Amino acid sequence: MKKAFLAILAAAAVAALSASPAAQTAVPKSGLPVLTTSAGQSNDANTVNAVLEEAGIKYDYCDVPTVEMLTAGVGLAGKTSSSGFHVEITTDLAKFPKGTPYKTVILAIGASLKGMGASGLTTDSEEARVKKLIEYCKKARIFIIGVHAGGDAARGPAGSDNERMIDAVAPFADFLVVTKDSDKDGRFTKIAAKTKAPLVKVDFALGMVDVMKKVF
Amino acid sequence: MMTRLKIVLVLIAAVLTAWGGVPLYKHRHYQVPVVAGPGVTRVERLSRFAPGLKGTMADTDVFVLEGARPGGKALLLANTHANEPAGLLAAVLMIENAVVEQGTLYVIPEFNASAGRNTKPGDGYPLYFDIPTEWGAKRFRMGNRDASPLEQWPDPDVYIHYPERQLLSFLDVRNTNRTWPGRPDGPLMERVTFAAMELLRGEKVDVAIDMHGAETMFPVTNCIVAPTKSSKIATLVSMTVKAMEGFDNHVEPSPSNFHGLSHREIGDFSDTLPFLLEAPIPFLDQPTGPKTVTLLLDGKDPFLLSLSRAKKLFVPYDENGWPMDKRVGQHCSVSLEIFRQFTKKNPERAIVLGGVPRYAELVKNGVGRYFHDPAKADPKNVHYE
Repeated sequence: MKKAFLAILAAAAVAALSASPAAQTAVPKSGLPVLTTSAGQSNDANTVNAVLEEAGIKYDYCDVPTVEMLTAGVGLAGKTSSSGFHVEITTDLAKFPKGTPYKTVILAIGASLKGMGASGLTTDSEEARVKKLIEYCKKARIFIIGVHAGGDAARGPAGSDNERMIDAVAPFADFLVVTKDSDKDGRFTKIAAKTKAPLVKVDFALGMVDVMKKVF
Repeated sequence: MMTRLKIVLVLIAAVLTAWGGVPLYKHRHYQVPVVAGPGVTRVERLSRFAPGLKGTMADTDVFVLEGARPGGKALLLANTHANEPAGLLAAVLMIENAVVEQGTLYVIPEFNASAGRNTKPGDGYPLYFDIPTEWGAKRFRMGNRDASPLEQWPDPDVYIHYPERQLLSFLDVRNTNRTWPGRPDGPLMERVTFAAMELLRGEKVDVAIDMHGAETMFPVTNCIVAPTKSSKIATLVSMTVKAMEGFDNHVEPSPSNFHGLSHREIGDFSDTLPFLLEAPIPFLDQPTGPKTVTLLLDGKDPFLLSLSRAKKLFVPYDENGWPMDKRVGQHCSVSLEIFRQFTKKNPERAIVLGGVPRYAELVKNGVGRYFHDPAKADPKNVHYE
């Protein structure tokens, strides 16, 4: 039963990935090292980290990095996790020693009041923090990837927390990767058409593994 | 005249007491037969890990399924809340069918054994529910969220959690998802969770899965609750079941300052990775029709349907309700996927098992298809829970 399931799983994975736009759309290239973070403190930052791990890509992660930490490059200035503040350094330090400037930042878009509350943030302060990070990335020519993996559940009416996070990131992203569920109303399609940023839509978050392998 | 009236009143009181009490007595003592399948290598008592439980109604069976090859270890808990029975059915299904190829699986189907023999008469709970099988109906007790006061009484005004001293509801002193990590000489339910902690620490268990159900109107439903240390595996599981099996099961972070819960304290007080699974159970929602067995099994309710149309529920809900087979299927698939993802990351501690159906098979065939007839089983393999 287990072997049959694994065979079905593998076949489904191949079918899902080969049928996804990721297989057909030109995926832009970017470089390492990469920092992953959250715009809105939902669990989707974990999704991005899990996707990168599955893709075999090493990364640094902080849920609420400041511009100063981003400026400090790989190792995030030696910061360590504490209550409401998480840091994970998996970047290959032999290839990219501490202090190496990041070439890519991935922002996982999705608002969670619980997540923001745990980090002592409000929607306003989170929005302001994300905007500062993006301003710095633009100035330092860091490639910005906006990811929306939460589907319908991480969307809302105009002006809601989720939509404010989309507004804070998507129009400034150099590349957008979203699930089809996330773009049911064409919001990301419209933004990408306006900014000319490549947009890849995948059936499921698991499909992002293949996309990230192509990016790095 | 007065004496005769008193005698009549006493007789009426006695009849009413017997009328109400006998069904409760029968329910408390009703035994559910569970057939130990080919994978079960031994059956322990939880009191082996904490003698403070020995001889109490809270002591319970631990089914051990050891693989031919050594590997990692996992503990599966069901009926932590005995009014959320999809976990119990998934656990019994595993005991009766799973064959461990590598590693060891511990299954406790009645974790709060006292709650499994308790009920909630004020809410009109049914005392039993039947699952149809090929050989007839298999009857289970419908339990309650909390242990019976017959086992643990009196309740304090406020339950002070040990060791964090967080103030919790008085009822939570009988709730085995608030008494973690427990202590050897505390109230009985603390002794239950302490015994499980000793099992986890002593046997060096890698993964613990606590199977629950939650209301459709409660935000923490249809999900895997995981602390930071388990969150990556939980996220991979969530992504995989969504892509490959077509059902949602998002990840909820375990709050670091809310104490007594399995997904918090198991992680903090042992090396084990905890996961708490929540499958939607419309029966537990407040604004429903009568709390019938039918509602428990098919999860169909017209009031919830109206609320779904008004976007008041936290899960998709339509005329199909949220049937028991679907909930059991979610628990089985998510548990199997947790083992698979853990094994991928820790091949030296692999947990590999077969013989357990996944979501689609359970939805198609129904959970009863996988229960074995105790009348036809070797009596030494039949255990009464």
